[in-house]
Amino acid sequence: MNGNRDAADSRKRELDPFDAAWEAEARRTLQPTGFDVDLGVRAARDALRVTAGELSEAEFHKRYHSEYLQAFEMDARPLLSDEVDGADSIGPTEGGGPAGSEEQPALMSRRTAMKLAGAGAAALFLGQLLSGLVPSATADEGGHQEGGHAASGSGATKAKAKNQEMQMGMVIDIEKCDGCLFCVNACKSAYTLADGVHWIYVFAYAEPDAPEEVNLLPRLCNHCSNAPCVKVCPVAARHKREDGLVLTDYDTCIGCRYCQVACPYGVNYFQWGEPTRYGGGYTGERRDARGRSVVGDPPRGVMGKCTFCPLRQDSQDEHGTTNCALACPHGVLHYGDLNDPESEPNQYLARRRQENGGRLETFRLLEDMGTKPNVIYIGSPPSREAYEVEGPVRYEDWGLVKQRRAVLEGPEPWFRRLIGGN
Amino acid sequence: MNASAAAPISHEARVATILRPILERPSRFYMVVLAIAAGGLLWWAYAWSFQLRNGLIVTGIADWGTAGGVPWGFYVGSFIWWVGIAHGGIIVSAAVRLFNLTAFKPVARMAELLTLVALSIAALYIVIHLGRPDRVFSSVLPALPTTIRTSPLAWDVTVITLYFVLTATYLGLTLRSDLYALQNRLPKALAPVYKLLLIGYRPEDKHKLERMAWWLALAVIVLAPLFLHGGVIPWLFATMPGQPGWFGGAQGPQFLTIALSSALGSVIVMAYVFRKAYSWQEIIPDEVFAGLSRWLALFALLFLWMQLQQNLTGSVAAPSAVADLTSAKMEEPLYWLSLGLVGLALAYLAVQMIFPRYFNVERTVAAALLPVAATLLEKTLFVIEGLMHPVFRLYEGVPGHYTPSWVEISSAVGAFSILLLFFLLVSRIVPLIEVEVSEE
Repeated sequence: MNGNRDAADSRKRELDPFDAAWEAEARRTLQPTGFDVDLGVRAARDALRVTAGELSEAEFHKRYHSEYLQAFEMDARPLLSDEVDGADSIGPTEGGGPAGSEEQPALMSRRTAMKLAGAGAAALFLGQLLSGLVPSATADEGGHQEGGHAASGSGATKAKAKNQEMQMGMVIDIEKCDGCLFCVNACKSAYTLADGVHWIYVFAYAEPDAPEEVNLLPRLCNHCSNAPCVKVCPVAARHKREDGLVLTDYDTCIGCRYCQVACPYGVNYFQWGEPTRYGGGYTGERRDARGRSVVGDPPRGVMGKCTFCPLRQDSQDEHGTTNCALACPHGVLHYGDLNDPESEPNQYLARRRQENGGRLETFRLLEDMGTKPNVIYIGSPPSREAYEVEGPVRYEDWGLVKQRRAVLEGPEPWFRRLIGGN
Repeated sequence: MNASAAAPISHEARVATILRPILERPSRFYMVVLAIAAGGLLWWAYAWSFQLRNGLIVTGIADWGTAGGVPWGFYVGSFIWWVGIAHGGIIVSAAVRLFNLTAFKPVARMAELLTLVALSIAALYIVIHLGRPDRVFSSVLPALPTTIRTSPLAWDVTVITLYFVLTATYLGLTLRSDLYALQNRLPKALAPVYKLLLIGYRPEDKHKLERMAWWLALAVIVLAPLFLHGGVIPWLFATMPGQPGWFGGAQGPQFLTIALSSALGSVIVMAYVFRKAYSWQEIIPDEVFAGLSRWLALFALLFLWMQLQQNLTGSVAAPSAVADLTSAKMEEPLYWLSLGLVGLALAYLAVQMIFPRYFNVERTVAAALLPVAATLLEKTLFVIEGLMHPVFRLYEGVPGHYTPSWVEISSAVGAFSILLLFFLLVSRIVPLIEVEVSEE
């Protein structure tokens, strides 16, 4: 939100929602938007009640749910995305989202209120504020609320998509990452990944204006809500599970690698040869609770990538954990349901924002590709000029292969052996 | 049909000439070429079995991203190229029927046969490109009702199948009436084959069949540019925003120009080979080559023009990802080689067009070969360059590399061997030129 800086500056100038002057101003602001002024005023007022703890979030949600759908689904959207999405998608962003209640009064500073008091904008704003409580059909279309992107395109109607579908995702605090590669190693050993396969990979990079400074960015599958890999798969092997995990059915995949080509993040790793010959060969449980073969380093000839540990999500005790996040000694990786404001990643975001004085820079990778990624980074995004450098811990130090192509060497045919090989 | 015949010959003489490959004993040269083609196919069978036993690791392809590879390479490039030849071939043939380009009638059936075999080779390339080719039916068919909505690859599979059926039907219609008319002159030894090909043929339907062929030709002319090589094949790539080398609306027209350049080139070369082998100077006169080469020049020009469009827009004030891709392309010598070959062919053909006295069939055929080779190079480069320069810039630290392995190169040997074998065998069974032509 653009207004947050001002919001933080003007903490003292909190508005009294029961003040007649406030209402007059709100009405004046709402009038030109052409939206339902009464609804806007009521909702904004109640939102302040929520932040003040006088009204429960659930009650608030219930109260405005149907009215919001009715009022904003058709007309409000363009305005919404201009107001909020625009600011959000240009790069470093302020997280709205599941903000701690402490700074919410500040968020409703005069200027912010002015800016967002338009009924449509208020709907979205509150959506950001109360991540997941406001119908995601509105929030999702209107812009990026912090939180999971509701799944789309799977034939789900808007009505179906509006409720809080589970969307597992991750908040990655790159400001805390020291590049130890514990996560990389944990993933490799949990799933016996073949050499050079990095379902999670830690970029170490520098910016041209600060070549000495090493920045770190763990990259895994973004488990996108609008995943191009799912769309292009000609056999529907690549699919999105109900909890938002993007998985490959190893029994169906034909190995055409279209998913790999379509993914803008380069997170897919194909099984080019017999995995046992290349340091792989997963022997554990392959099937998730649905009975589909989606777990572990894939068999030869099919595609693999970060799975967000489906067996853990299936279990009672381990739900909401991943091997990489558990292994991280620095609290960089925070995994959970992004659509649940109470989930660990959302609470972490709120806590970090609070520590940071109500302001927090977050971003998602390649947001303008429209993939709706579900990994949120805390920190500054790499610039386009960023370039990879040697990290503090080298992959070789862990006995890992950094660049897979170096080890993708097939066996030699008889005629090659005859002439001495390559 | 005297438009195509420089020196008119009698119908009887024409039919005898056309039937020469079927009735004459195979020459020693024929047997040598047959052996070479069979050897090439066997070699590739070995290479593919090697790949099946060990996995795609025996190719030069690898993951893009941290692995520093390129996941689609020569197989996909070859797939596009063969599909392009197939599409172009049938367009040539359909245009003969639809636009009355009678001068090209002698090569129409060859173009149709080329389409059939090139489509089959293209389909084979998809199969050998897969990690699990054994699942090609069991996985694709059940999912098709769902995947057809979003997956360009599912569109491809569907359309190629449709195309094969269209072409085979089209070819069958004209071929069957020829076989019926020539029944008594065809070799007895092959009688069961002809019987099979003529199942259900009724001579009184001839007029109806003519109309059917015309409608099929219309379908081909409408479908090919819109949905085939100007459509689903380029859409495989044009819909991928992560790869700036692929994304965008230019791919449709560009693919079409490339397909027609390579197809016209191939038809010219093939017509020449048969004319030479069976002394068909009267049946495939110089005018056919002159006419086809004029169209080739036009499409070569369009090919270069489409490249110019993209390079210009990619260089002047492009978004950074597109600019990166374009500058990388500009620095790639093989890219310039492919453009240079097409440019050279265009230059020669243009001169020949302006000064007809310089026309020469051999030189025309040599010029026609250039775009054929150049387009295979361009298509492979197109595929890998798109993947080597993605939008996600951090991977620049491990830039993609790709060199086709011996297994992949062997596939080209195999594909050409299949083409050769197909024509060597088919030319001894059915007339390669429509006999009906000469009755008019």
